[in-house]
Amino acid sequence: MANVIEMKEERKDFKEEFETTDMALFVRTSEESMNDWNRQRIVDALVRETYVDIDTAKEIARDVEDLIVTSKIKMITAPLVRELVDTKLVERGLEQARKMHTRLGMPLYDVDQLILHPNKENANVPHGPEATNLTLAERIKKEYALLSVFSQETADAHMRGDIHLHDLGFVDRPYCSGQSLEYIKRFGLSLPNSIAMAKPAKHPEVLLAHMVKFAAGLQSNFAGAIGWDSVNLFFAPYLVGLSDRDLEQLAQMMIFEFSQQAVARGGQAIFTDLNLYWEIPKHFENVPAIGPGGEKTGKNYSEYMKESQRFAWALFNVFMEGDGSGRPFFFPKPLVHITEKFFQTPGHMDFLHHICEVASAKGNTYFIFDRGETAKISECCRLSFKLDQSDLEDAKEPWKMRYCALQNVTLNLPRMAYLAKGDDTRLFSKLTEFIEVAIKAHLEKKSFIEKLLSVGERGPLALLAMNRDGSPYLRMHRASFLIGMVGLNELVQVHTGKEMHQSRQAFKFGLKVIAHMKLLVDKLSERYGMHFVLEQTPAESTAYRFAKLDLRFHSPQSGHIVKGDISKGEVYYTNSTYLNNSAVINPIERVRQEGLFHPLIEAGALTHIWLGETRPSKESLANFVIKTFQRTQNDQIAFSPEFTTCNVCNRTSRGLRSSCPYCGSQEVDGITRITGYFTKVSSWNKGKIGELHNRYRNQAYIEDQKGETVLMTG
Amino acid sequence: MELIKIFVKAKCPKCPAAKEIGMELKREGLPVLHYDLDTIDGLAEASFHSILSTPSLIIEDEEEREIVSWRGMVPTLQEVKQHLLGTHLS
Repeated sequence: MANVIEMKEERKDFKEEFETTDMALFVRTSEESMNDWNRQRIVDALVRETYVDIDTAKEIARDVEDLIVTSKIKMITAPLVRELVDTKLVERGLEQARKMHTRLGMPLYDVDQLILHPNKENANVPHGPEATNLTLAERIKKEYALLSVFSQETADAHMRGDIHLHDLGFVDRPYCSGQSLEYIKRFGLSLPNSIAMAKPAKHPEVLLAHMVKFAAGLQSNFAGAIGWDSVNLFFAPYLVGLSDRDLEQLAQMMIFEFSQQAVARGGQAIFTDLNLYWEIPKHFENVPAIGPGGEKTGKNYSEYMKESQRFAWALFNVFMEGDGSGRPFFFPKPLVHITEKFFQTPGHMDFLHHICEVASAKGNTYFIFDRGETAKISECCRLSFKLDQSDLEDAKEPWKMRYCALQNVTLNLPRMAYLAKGDDTRLFSKLTEFIEVAIKAHLEKKSFIEKLLSVGERGPLALLAMNRDGSPYLRMHRASFLIGMVGLNELVQVHTGKEMHQSRQAFKFGLKVIAHMKLLVDKLSERYGMHFVLEQTPAESTAYRFAKLDLRFHSPQSGHIVKGDISKGEVYYTNSTYLNNSAVINPIERVRQEGLFHPLIEAGALTHIWLGETRPSKESLANFVIKTFQRTQNDQIAFSPEFTTCNVCNRTSRGLRSSCPYCGSQEVDGITRITGYFTKVSSWNKGKIGELHNRYRNQAYIEDQKGETVLMTG
Repeated sequence: MELIKIFVKAKCPKCPAAKEIGMELKREGLPVLHYDLDTIDGLAEASFHSILSTPSLIIEDEEEREIVSWRGMVPTLQEVKQHLLGTHLS
């Protein structure tokens, strides 16, 4: 495709009657050669790309040629020619043709800014040439998605900010996935397009290498998180007889390998979740274990509890130590499942204290609560897949247990309240309307991905189409389609005049909104034969984007509603179904109240407990975790301390500070949890900075008792 | 004054028995509210009380604090009345 046209000085007096081939205009093509100007190229492009008839195409080409000549421009670019053609299409009322003829790309100024300044849409993307490549590619794919993958109705809803279509820059991949190590243990590393095939690993280090490489492969085929089920258990058959030192070394390798993968896609670390169990999960107890060489060991997994527990313990030793400068590891994220069986398994209190010590010191631990018969695989910031009966059947052959969410669409809840103007009926009908648009977006994305997958192992999604066990790696019939929400608290505030923590009626109204969403997505799942589920969107940038758009479209009302500091542009909506971040609420009560929403949000939910610079005792956190399990419906909690890391002396201190307490340097950076992961505060978008200022750090509920810092639960 | 809340669903084999108890208590002049979990109001109210299975029955005080509950089961009329004795049935 031509991208630069130059007109030779001596032929500026070009006359209309000249044949196009006489024009001494040269076109620099993408092959970096110079081609003569040829009006026919405009005709060809119009006929190839649009439904315009040949006579109209010729007319337009002639008009554009006239314009170029009479304008006496010395140098014009191909995008300009295309725009000129587009204006002619518009003049003729050929709107659809203009859309089809659109050129995707970015203005020079934007590229310049992008190369010079970091992108803060995702704090997990550093700034560098790889990151710039990623952003440039994402921009074009985003435009492509909104023009070509999604209908105009869906795209407009996204552009207006009624909904947010996540990861549009990765439109040609599913959203995120959860898998089993058993797949690579059984089949080795045999990836489509790979130049070498590896047989199943015989040694734990090799299994780890396969895991990391497969994760990188998956990262190239999914937009978001890559979760791994029961990692310590599935490693266990490889760990028999390993000394403590070797085991610790392996644990260290695993965590460093995943935390230093920031050399792959766009310099972005793989968003890795390690699901860990102290017990042998009930559904794997009698499953034959796969060991070195992909062979069955002759034992069931229930016989590997010792190795499984030792490995989980060793992983947390590494998390406790932190990286080379004592900072918490940002990735991988350890997700420990707290179940009924956990409490029946010997040594559970020691292990609970161990992981709580890490939670208090470094913040890494995520506590996932699987009550009753529930079993889950967790990934992403909070997404989890609840295992149903057929999944438990698959558990007998665990390599089959691979899941994905195809897309995430988030609804701007406060927007509906502005539009409803206090009328209940209008509010719920708006909610229905927005959900219907989200469903339409899911159908459109599904159809696009199916088209890509239909080409099989020769297509763009070869890795997801690979078939090693009788079905493609991506099992479309098990895919989830996520519907997220932002700003329930502000919806309730606009509609009832109170925030959710301010009155019981307001809180109950919030439950009503989510109940409506839940019942509706269940009904639509039945209608379409697809699995639509509610999820608490992490909304790292969406909570900021919606707030900004509503300030534009719904002022002055929204000016009283958005949270943060409007004068600095640090605005946001409260995430998902959370209570106001700044509200002074007993943390266990916050966990209980927020947890009341969790059974309705099937695809995952999380409550944050912000710790600030305090470091509560492991016993008090363990007590908090047990109470959360026993007395609430909360799905998942995480304790988040704050740190300051010095860029001069490389030491890490507790709390967010403006200078290093060790060397006094002001070259420091804050570290804490942004949504579902830790990262440096300097990479946060303005909305998240606004939220950080407002976070209530539970000061009134952290006390000194007998020389110990305690997080209160009473 | 205590309030009796009964939570049911359409496709739930034990729910008719719970509904019947509710009707009986209502006939005796007691304040009973029925919630269907297939409706928005019902599901929201059930979520507020952490009701995850049907049928469930709770008795609460004026402040909506739970006095007693039967979750995923049907109490006998007698059992329910025992907890109301001394108030409405004295």
